[in-house]
Amino acid sequence: MFNFMRFVATRAVLAVITLIIVSLVVFSLMELVPGDCAERYLAFKNTQGSGISLADIENERVRLGLDRPFMERWGKWIVGAFQGEFGDSCILRVNIAQLLGDKFWISLGLCLSALLLAYIIAIPVGILSASSSNATLNNSLRIFSYLGLALPNFLLALMIMLFSTVYFGDTLTGLFSREYRDADWSWDRVLDLMSHAWLPIFILGWSATAFALQTVRALVSDEIGKLYVTAAAARGMYGRKLLWRYPARHSLGPIVNSLGFDLNRIFNELPIVALILTLTEAGALLIEALARSNDQQLAGAIIFLLTASIVALNFFTDVLLAAIDPRVRKSILS
Amino acid sequence: MTQTPDPLEPNLAQTSGPAAAIVETDAAVARRAKEAYYTASQSQLIWARFKKQRAAMIAAYVLLFLLLSGLFAPFLSPYDPNIAGRNKDYLNGAPTIPMFCDSNGCSVRPFLHTVERERSMATNFRWVETVNEDKRRYMEFFVEGSSYRLLGFIPMDTHLFGMNEGFIHLFGTDASGKDIFSRTLHAIWTSIQVGTIGVMIAFVLALIIGGVSGYYGGWIDSFLQMITDAVRTVPAIPLFMAIAAFVPQEWSAEERFFFISMILGLIGWPTLARRVRTHLLTERNQEYVLAAQLCGASPRHVIGKHLLPSFTSYIIVDLVISFPYMVLSETALSFIGLGLKEPVNSLGVMLQNVTSADVLLNYQWYFIPVIFFIALVMAFVFVGDGLRDAADPYSDNNK
Repeated sequence: MFNFMRFVATRAVLAVITLIIVSLVVFSLMELVPGDCAERYLAFKNTQGSGISLADIENERVRLGLDRPFMERWGKWIVGAFQGEFGDSCILRVNIAQLLGDKFWISLGLCLSALLLAYIIAIPVGILSASSSNATLNNSLRIFSYLGLALPNFLLALMIMLFSTVYFGDTLTGLFSREYRDADWSWDRVLDLMSHAWLPIFILGWSATAFALQTVRALVSDEIGKLYVTAAAARGMYGRKLLWRYPARHSLGPIVNSLGFDLNRIFNELPIVALILTLTEAGALLIEALARSNDQQLAGAIIFLLTASIVALNFFTDVLLAAIDPRVRKSILS
Repeated sequence: MTQTPDPLEPNLAQTSGPAAAIVETDAAVARRAKEAYYTASQSQLIWARFKKQRAAMIAAYVLLFLLLSGLFAPFLSPYDPNIAGRNKDYLNGAPTIPMFCDSNGCSVRPFLHTVERERSMATNFRWVETVNEDKRRYMEFFVEGSSYRLLGFIPMDTHLFGMNEGFIHLFGTDASGKDIFSRTLHAIWTSIQVGTIGVMIAFVLALIIGGVSGYYGGWIDSFLQMITDAVRTVPAIPLFMAIAAFVPQEWSAEERFFFISMILGLIGWPTLARRVRTHLLTERNQEYVLAAQLCGASPRHVIGKHLLPSFTSYIIVDLVISFPYMVLSETALSFIGLGLKEPVNSLGVMLQNVTSADVLLNYQWYFIPVIFFIALVMAFVFVGDGLRDAADPYSDNNK
């Protein structure tokens, strides 16, 4: 048990180190943008009619702490980031944590549901196709997988919009009906969200499913050829029982391990799908922050949060794997 | 061109003398087949295995076709893809497909009907277009048109096809009257260029970082792997977007083009670097390397003659496989307006405005280029997969 705790602690430390490196990358990017917060803030004041001087900009810099050295500001930012506090956006002059609010959680929920959907489909179908020698089934799955790779989600979203507008006269966009958009959370609002969320979840899950199918299929068909499976078959085990008890269980480890990268892939598609389907959540906010207003504080916060959730998922899958896989468990405990 | 012998199925008439075919025994056939197999170079073996995969071969032909049509885009496209070549009388125009027959009979030369525009008291002072079925415009081949530089240096003004009068728009026109067919061909070439530059930059970085990591091992390896993993954890497209937002608005299209390709490369290296490192780490400890070292080979000889050839094929495969991701990333980036901009033609640029209900409902030909891009990406994925299987020396065993 002590060893297990030590393993968890090591993984947690590694996760934090990864996050610190990521935060350095993100923070340096934010810093590289020409013009800092003080200039922007005063440029805004200037448009409001009050004249400003260089001294004003300097004072503002001191007030915002922008005159401190890079390392100190980074340290401050990361300490805040770990507490979920990202300061104010200097374009919108609103607290970022407030601005993001439950938008980030909705996005994360959408992505995790897409991931779940992908594996609910991929695990049984992948195992089935690996064990069967049905050429039609295998070829059609192969083509589906390739389509999942080649047809990026935003093109799929566009195609679905094209067909739904042409045939149903509805673009199927948005996440909430009008009356629920700014309402407080209630059961009805959740139901309303559900009735809109299936399309983004499906689209986000599309290529994730294709990838997951390929992974599951490759892993299981690798395991099926191994001697222990032959040995089990020789002992008289057969059919589904053989499949689920031996090769499927063995390939579970790498599948659990790859979850983090699948989430990464889904996050990649999120902003663009969000733009097309006009979802009002973090992905769309990211595009808004970058493409329209060049709001680096907001963009940095969102990228950091997205990465943090991938790191967190990786951490959980590692711990989960250690708990469920006897081989890993043994190697930790002994 | 002399045909290279197929090491898997040697042509016996070729390998033996003219009279020897008569006395060929089964054992000799088998021996000769083995001989051809064992003396074949690695590239011959890969090519022989690649040829056996039907899907990959078809994809290779599609890829070749698309590459050529991209390379010769200025010649194949009837008009200049930019605003200079626009047809200002045919905005958001539907595709015009040349035909051979109409109610007035048939013609060997394909033709189009003339569209007449009229604005008068009778039409309530609005432009009204009518198709005049009696007036034909004929298609011509090798016509003189806008001047361009083929392959970047041969000045030409001949286009494969055009009309004797008026315009032809196989895929229709966009909101400013630019020919979508011409733009698609040019966009294919843009995508290939962006992908190539991106892959090359990613490759050089990956070779340096992965090479250092794999060659030295130890703490340098752990340290570099930690950084690589951290960079790999950040979702690439949001990061792209953050970097692409730096590009000043006043940059020219070319500067933008190179900057975007560079970013693609700068973000794409971690996956490749990891593969280079893995290859190096496994190959470095192989017996044949030790054997060469024991024979007194210099490190230079070991690296150049043994290590590099052992994984060049893998690296080429990795490059082909990472290509479509570069193309897709560029498309996604341009699509949201952070990547390439007009007058550069790329799929992302062409798709920028299609989400409006107007386009979705009325101008569906805006989507025709998508088919070409799916074909391009699929062709790359299939060829990459085929190459990967072909480069795997063990794939023969489980036939």
